[in-house]
Amino acid sequence: MPELRELTYAEALREGLRQLMEEDERVFLIGEDIGVYGGAFGVTAGLIERFGAERVIDTPISEAGIAGACIGAALTGMRPIGEIQFMDFVTLSMEQLVLQAAKVRFMFGGKASVPMVLRMPGGSGTGAAAQHSESLENWFVHVPGLKVVMPSTPYDAKGLLRAAVLDDNPVIFVEHKLLYKTKGHVPEAPYVVPLSQTKVVREGAHLTVVATSVMVGRALQAAEQLAEEGIQLEVIDPRTLKPLDDAPIIESVKKTGRALVVHEAVEMGGFGGEVVARIAASEAFDYLEAPIRRLAGLDIPIPYNRELEYHTVPQVESIVREARKLVRGEY
Amino acid sequence: MPVPIIMPKFGFTLESCEIVQWLVREGDRVRSGDPICEVTTDKVNMEVEAPEDGVIHQILYKAGDVVPVTQVICYLLRPNEVAETATAAIAAESAPSATPLARRIAESNQLDLAAVQGSGRDGKIMRRDVEQALGKVRATPAARRLAAEHGVDLAEVQGTGRGGRVQGTDVQAALAQRAAEPAAPLIKRDTQEMPPPNIAEHADRRVVRLEGMRRTIAQRLQKSFQSAPHIFLDTTVDMSAIEALRATLKARGEKLSVTAVLIRACAWALGRNPALNATLEGDEISYWRNANIGMAVALQDGLIVPVIHRAEQLSLYAIQQEVDRLAALAREGKLTLDQVSGGTFTVTNMGMFGVDSFTAIINPPQVAILAVGRTVRSFVPDAEGKPILKPTLTMTLSADHRVVDGAHAAHFLRDLRDVIQTPSLLAW
Amino acid sequence: MIQLSQDLIQRYHDLIETLGPETLKAMLQEMHLIRAFEERAEQLYMQGKVHGTMHLSIGQEATAVGAANAMQEGDYLLNHHRGHGHCMAWGSDPNRMMAEFMGKETGYCRGRGGSMHIADVDANNLGANGIVAGGIPIAVGVGLSIKMRRTSQVCLVIFGDGAANEGAFHEALNMASIWALPIVFLCENNQYAMSMPVQKAFNIENISQRAAAYGLPGVTVDGNDPLAVYTAVSEAAARARRGEGATLVEAKTYRYKGHSKSDKQAYRSREEVRFWQENRDPIMRFSQLLLTAGLISEAEAAQMRERAIAIIDEAVAFSEASPAPDVADIMDGVYA
Repeated sequence: MPELRELTYAEALREGLRQLMEEDERVFLIGEDIGVYGGAFGVTAGLIERFGAERVIDTPISEAGIAGACIGAALTGMRPIGEIQFMDFVTLSMEQLVLQAAKVRFMFGGKASVPMVLRMPGGSGTGAAAQHSESLENWFVHVPGLKVVMPSTPYDAKGLLRAAVLDDNPVIFVEHKLLYKTKGHVPEAPYVVPLSQTKVVREGAHLTVVATSVMVGRALQAAEQLAEEGIQLEVIDPRTLKPLDDAPIIESVKKTGRALVVHEAVEMGGFGGEVVARIAASEAFDYLEAPIRRLAGLDIPIPYNRELEYHTVPQVESIVREARKLVRGEY
Repeated sequence: MPVPIIMPKFGFTLESCEIVQWLVREGDRVRSGDPICEVTTDKVNMEVEAPEDGVIHQILYKAGDVVPVTQVICYLLRPNEVAETATAAIAAESAPSATPLARRIAESNQLDLAAVQGSGRDGKIMRRDVEQALGKVRATPAARRLAAEHGVDLAEVQGTGRGGRVQGTDVQAALAQRAAEPAAPLIKRDTQEMPPPNIAEHADRRVVRLEGMRRTIAQRLQKSFQSAPHIFLDTTVDMSAIEALRATLKARGEKLSVTAVLIRACAWALGRNPALNATLEGDEISYWRNANIGMAVALQDGLIVPVIHRAEQLSLYAIQQEVDRLAALAREGKLTLDQVSGGTFTVTNMGMFGVDSFTAIINPPQVAILAVGRTVRSFVPDAEGKPILKPTLTMTLSADHRVVDGAHAAHFLRDLRDVIQTPSLLAW
Repeated sequence: MIQLSQDLIQRYHDLIETLGPETLKAMLQEMHLIRAFEERAEQLYMQGKVHGTMHLSIGQEATAVGAANAMQEGDYLLNHHRGHGHCMAWGSDPNRMMAEFMGKETGYCRGRGGSMHIADVDANNLGANGIVAGGIPIAVGVGLSIKMRRTSQVCLVIFGDGAANEGAFHEALNMASIWALPIVFLCENNQYAMSMPVQKAFNIENISQRAAAYGLPGVTVDGNDPLAVYTAVSEAAARARRGEGATLVEAKTYRYKGHSKSDKQAYRSREEVRFWQENRDPIMRFSQLLLTAGLISEAEAAQMRERAIAIIDEAVAFSEASPAPDVADIMDGVYA
């Protein structure tokens, strides 16, 4: 049995990037401060030394330019991996991503493809406040032609990154700031975690909890706590939000009869609504014992004050409370 | 406005009647007093009559339906009325308009029909509308699925979910309970759907629906046996004196039956043991001043118990006449309600079927019943202990132990025995 | 009747020699073809046979033809919503273009793209663009890709005067400059964005002045003179191929028709339009040049128009006979 090798989420991404660039000359990185600076969160540290400035390209502060560069390069034979420093700034790339990258193939009648990956850290919890803490993944879920990925563990991060780069479509790859330092088992050899493959992370009989990104870990902690009360949570991580593999979620709800969706992004218009709608419209409807609930971000910008920031998004305690209420029949 | 014809309340305790058959159809002309349908109440058939001259309009129930008393069962158009306007008038009057079944379901769930959207013709509230209205509030999808799969009526499941909602687990509990202990269900008829046939022939069996008199009997017996803790006391009596009396009367060309004797004897014994001449209803025990003794008569399809009222005042001769008269009426199906009501004690005799002894189920609301076996020749010891052949008969008393103590029951039985063995005591 | 000075003929003498009569005649024919196509497209629209809207480039034929001819096989094209002319000059098949207009399965984009999104990917035509300046950042990516792959391709990106005020334009020019990307940024300045005249949208005389802000060479030419455009673009392309980076070429021209089909043109006078039509029309001028240079006869010149119309007639017939896309295939082409 090979010894379990632990890497942080950031290290796992870095290793994945390095291996992809070693294998394929067409892969290059482009973004702000990813070269000598090593990336705002250190993900690309050391890569410019290894691959040179031509393949690790620092850009001026030009998000539209970064996105466009990825698109143009991808259209003409390259496999670029762009980085947007904070998910918040992707708003400056929206035209290129939504109107160009996502649509080129369709508008051209199925000709041409845009095999690019755009990585970006989202989420709150670092006191970076309203303009540096966004979770906008559902904006992209709403755009046909894009794929949206949210890894929750170092293992999934490296594997999903590889799958995203190998995919011939534009992939929005959403990391979480609070996850960069988390550790987990990561095999050294390259491996793929397939896109659109939902994972049942923990089995349980009483309540299906669908969680994304940093909420997966919190849901698992909540599960541990609730297990002591005899409440068994089944925790499910979609990993790829679009295209969504919802079959395991439906099967789970058929088993448990109760469902809770947990994500950081604002509840209104968030990904949770999509999951709830799919459950309600599926066979699982006839197995429901309680209304399907969401636990998600409050409808406010992320506040600066730590306490306020903490209470803006789901935490382990709030997940425990909500799960308990659902299972105990309080809804 | 057409005349509503209601299900009559034939007796003051009567709650509902089952329609046996309609004697008219919509559109038939009737005269005041004409019978329009036959109903059965507590085993006796009654007729509903037209209250005035007119034309039958809008029959609302069909044969087999159990209708609460005072409920409108059909309408009668007066001679000058027109059918279409009458229908409209009726619809306008009765708001909200609902099918009888919908109404029943709504009632038993305390659902106000005014809150229900009707999907039937002219906005009539159908069963599905009521169920849906109930369903919106009351059951989870899981519960609904399980209920549908297992034929459980959600309206009858106790909901433990929020706000009384029926959960899937509640339906499962109801199913488990149903398997363990078949409860006495209210048989619900769906008047909107084709009723299943009364009799169905299968290869290995014949299936008959439990309805009419049979059903009434079934319900009452079950209720009696389940609610009254029965105690059973039996005794064997020497019938020599009675036999002698019967022989004497036979020589005169007159007939005296054992049943008549027993009725008279019970009346005598009950007079001295009032605790057994009682009825229990709810929390009230009524000790009756007269002994109205019911006599169980076997019919082809069941049992009926005509009552000999004030038996303690009647001579043996009068009782015998009553016995004969009522038995004949019973077999012809012509007993009136009065003739089957008001009993305070019942005697049931299976001696003619060769039964030695048996235990009977009390006929509620009465608190006791006497089961009589056949007269046999058996050897009993005489004064010196020598065996002599005597006619004997075994009687078994069932008493409701909630009301009748063992001592009372025993005392009654002793008195009964005494008076049968020494009939001259009847004059006392 | 346009009078050409002897100076002009002298100026172009060498170029005319270099290019040769065949190429020059082909260029004129192309300009006719573009105009015939645009006029027919307008007619079809009026007849209700074409759906949506269209942005006609009548009057701007010289820029398209001059620029396209200045590029080489294998070069990339990115253009804009008023791009039928660029597409055709790049060698696209009028049949398939017309079919795309009519939303047919046989169109360049299988009927999914329409007028504003026509692309001929096999010919490295990476598409028209419905977003003003939308293609400019993409050109940066193409340029990067060329450099990384170490080919001698060049990317020609054509955009209008309006695009020069979008943020993306500035980001892209800057990036192209710092990385010395092989791009020719061709600004087709037809004097109006949609309704906004350049005099009001800019505080500079020539858009090419903006090149200096990014450290790029910039040049302004007469966009209604195909040879002027040809000269500027080929020089820029040569620079790029030599590894010297990007250039901003501004071609000043004029569009005769409104911005789109729903434009009442309240922002300019009929007189102004007529002035350009009668005095600066590119086809008339180029015909005149070739006539004067003795390269064509009057008869030939007239025939070119006929030939163009005939080709367009065929294109229309082809399109009308083509099948519409099957609704069952509606989900095709979203993902690779």
